[in-house]
Amino acid sequence: MSTGLKEKVGLKLESYTFRVEKGKIKELAQAIGDLKEEFLSGEAVPPTFPTVIDFWGGGASSSELLNLNMKKVLHGEQEYEYFRGIVPDEEITVHGVIEKAYTKAAMNFYVIRKDYLDKQGKTVLISRSTIIERH
Amino acid sequence: MEVGQTLEPLQKEEITHTQLIRYAGASGDFNPIHTVVPFAEAAGLGGVIAHGMLVMGFVGQAIGQWFEVKNLKKFTTRFKAMTRPGERITVQGRIVDENDTCWICEAEAVNEAAEVKVKAFFEIRK
Repeated sequence: MSTGLKEKVGLKLESYTFRVEKGKIKELAQAIGDLKEEFLSGEAVPPTFPTVIDFWGGGASSSELLNLNMKKVLHGEQEYEYFRGIVPDEEITVHGVIEKAYTKAAMNFYVIRKDYLDKQGKTVLISRSTIIERH
Repeated sequence: MEVGQTLEPLQKEEITHTQLIRYAGASGDFNPIHTVVPFAEAAGLGGVIAHGMLVMGFVGQAIGQWFEVKNLKKFTTRFKAMTRPGERITVQGRIVDENDTCWICEAEAVNEAAEVKVKAFFEIRK
């Protein structure tokens, strides 16, 4: 089971692009209950907004790439490093790669790094997600 | 602001099934372990569990209460325990260190029994 793990390091996710819609910003803020005026108006984004980019940008392909059983998958860690704020209506393109894969305590761990770039190719933020697959 | 300072806790409302459905739609994370009770039971979870990212969102809300979100430089969370509908989360935090440009802080999201759901670390520009 763990023999194929190492081969997954370096695998790239299919890139995806998302236009930062103000309505999606407001929707996320309301779902969290974080009702700051700048979020409701869509002028600024909550810190966890990149998850919206991932799922609505056509991503979420990591589970397919890693061939994960969704009944056995848990989110272990999440990290964001912000270089500048996300601006409403801009387009963000995401490139993802499997950075690490290892087995510990009868679970598989995958670290997925994603780089979020603006139209000029500048990095807006970097995320690292640790996905745990129970055996 | 100073190192050692405790930040005012953020008390959230009780998490409801509706909130999880709403969060699924907002985030786009439709993994049924968060929304479909029979699926979550079959997965051995004993019912639906909240998205870890929702609880991270609560911590993000607290950070915005303590500082300016636009000054957030790094935000890391470790998901320690599952959160379920009916639980009431409080986010507490403190400033643990500083450097020339940033405050280094830690925070955690806990339930009423003080069980830690999410442990967070963040750096915020001064």
